[in-house]
Formats: sequence, structure tokens, C-alpha cells
Amino acid sequence: MSERTIELEVLRYRPEQDQEPFFQTYKVPCEEEWVVLDALNYVKEEMDRTLSYRWSCHMFVCGSCGMMIDGEPKLACKAFLKDYPTGKIRVEPLSNFPIERDLVVVLDDFVEKLESVKPYIIPKEERTVEQGEYLQTPAQLKAFKQYTLCINCLCCYAVCPQYGLDESFVGPAALALAHRYNMDSRDLGRAARDDVVAAAEGIWHCSFVGACSQVCPKDVDPAGAIQQAKFAHGIDYLTSFLPGGKR
Amino acid sequence: MNPRKPYVRPISKTSWFMTQGRYKVYMLHEISSLFVAIYTAILIIGLVRLGEGEAAWQGWLDAVTSPIGVIFHLIAFVFALIHTTSWFKAVPQAMRIQRGEEIVPGKLIVGAHYGVLAAVSLFVLILAGVA
Repeated sequence: MSERTIELEVLRYRPEQDQEPFFQTYKVPCEEEWVVLDALNYVKEEMDRTLSYRWSCHMFVCGSCGMMIDGEPKLACKAFLKDYPTGKIRVEPLSNFPIERDLVVVLDDFVEKLESVKPYIIPKEERTVEQGEYLQTPAQLKAFKQYTLCINCLCCYAVCPQYGLDESFVGPAALALAHRYNMDSRDLGRAARDDVVAAAEGIWHCSFVGACSQVCPKDVDPAGAIQQAKFAHGIDYLTSFLPGGKR
Repeated sequence: MNPRKPYVRPISKTSWFMTQGRYKVYMLHEISSLFVAIYTAILIIGLVRLGEGEAAWQGWLDAVTSPIGVIFHLIAFVFALIHTTSWFKAVPQAMRIQRGEEIVPGKLIVGAHYGVLAAVSLFVLILAGVA
């Protein structure tokens, strides 16, 4: 196996001793097929045990290792070193979030927003176990399946200028998940989610920069979900003027 | 004592869009609407002038064919192209059409938009006696 040394510039911040973050460079002997996460693990195990970062699955499923790699939000487990031929890689915590320590960011704001959009099925009808399962056709599944793929890695928030400038914005992942449930044929919770989703800080705060969808490692397309939600609310508003419309 | 001390990185409210290429593209796409709006306003003024009689119409025509008028319209044309292409590119995201178990491919939706644009342009050109 071929080996090369890369320079890993890592943004460090240790709240108990640092006033502000600073870059620390590690020269890491890497194998050709490594990803950035492997290099970080090497640093942690062999060079500097004080380095903090989140990771779990190492196979782009858990969404824990989202970080800025050369200025772009990515999963560290999906960022192959061979795609960085200069041998110098800058690793920073996700933008637009406060830094807790080193590459670990504070997620409290996102978790609150995720809760606020009620990301679970609010059923059309309560069924007992005896009544059997909620049935759904493949076409009904297709309507929302793409939006179920979100792993909450928050790469989308890290690149969203609206969220960066005004954190009252509910943001891409939470709104995409709200859309996922609104599009689910078993769900009747749209009105309950609208307090948050259709508010000024919800879908209307998005100006369709579209960066979230460009960086999403799971191709969820949160920007698309938000525009579709805007369209649905626009139609609702217009039809409210028709006879029998609800206003 | 709470050992937590989260560090918030500052973001410039006035130059954030210079930090990434994709933000610059977004700003260009947003600014393009300004030129499309000015172009439309000039066109509406032309209609009003047309209703005011031949002298008024000739005055408007002289203004838009003056060097400044031509330069503005060339710039507006470039921005109109940016506006059109960037919005058309974004349409499949906002307009997700499902047929049965399949999502209609984005290329087809974008292609249809260009098709309609070409057809309307041709119609207008024929109407104007150019084509």
C-alpha cells in the first residue's frame, strides 16, 4: 500500500485555555485510500489525544462527522484524501454554529428547531393493532422518500447564508423533514406544523440560494423541498379566495 | 463554574457573499432581476409614449437608440440571459412532477421551458416582422 504524508491544518479551540480558535498543523502519514476521518483518527490515536471531533459509523450513515474540509461542508468519512492532491487539507468545525471544542459544534439550536417542526407522523386516523398497518403504495412512498434520507449532518446549515446571518431561520434540514411528513399519505399534520413551517422564519425566510442542496451528501435537496412547500402555501392562499375557500 | 464557553465565529453582514463562488453566482442571479425590471419599466414607458402620439413615440425611440440606450440594452440583455438560464436551471427543484412511481427528469422540465421560450420568441419576432 502506498503512503504519503499530508499536512492536516485543524482548527483547535479549547475553551478552558483558548480565547479564540487557532490552526494547528499535523503531518500525518496516510494511506492512499484513506478519508479525512482516518487522518483525524490517526492524529487522535498516535499524535494528539486532546483533539476532539464527532464521528461514529465511518460509512456516511450516522451524520456525525460533518465538518468544513477546505472550506466546504462535508462528511469527513466521505472526503477521500486522493481528491486533495496538494497534500494540504484544512479542517474546521461546521460554519454557522458556535464551536464547543475543536471540531465539535453546539447543536442545541438545530435540535430545538427539528423538534419544533414535529418530525413524526401525525396520523390521519388512529388505528388499533387489530385494524392492521397503514397501507401505502409505492407511488405514495416515492412522493417523500428522497426527504427521508436526511442524516442531520448539518452540512446544509453550514453553507446556508440565511441561517448564518440570522439564526432565527428554521433552516434547510428541519424544513425538508417537515416537508417529508407533509408529503406522507399517512400524515395529517401539516396544519400543526404550519405554525413553524409557514412562519416568516420558516420557508419564507429562504431566498433559494440553493447551496444546501449542492452540498448535501445524501442528495436530499432541501432547497427543492422548501420551494415546493412555498408553492403549496401559495396555492392555498390563492384558493382561499375561491368560493368555499378557507381563510 | 460552567466550563462551557462556545465560540461564535463572526460573519460579515456586508461581504458574506464574497466568501464563496456559489454565493457570488447567487448574487449575480439576484442582481439580474434589477436589470430586467429597469428594462421592463423602459418598455412600459415606451407604450405610454406610443399612446401620447407620434412626437412622444419618436422621442422615446431616439432615447433607446442613442448610444447610452444601446449600451444599457446590451448590458440588460446579458443580465436577462443570466436571469433566464439561472432560473430555468432551478425550476426542477421547485417544480417536482411525479408520474406514477417516477419523478419526471429535471432535464425534460428545463428543456420544455427553453422550448416555450423559443416558441414565444419566434412568435414575437414574426409578429414584429423580423423573422
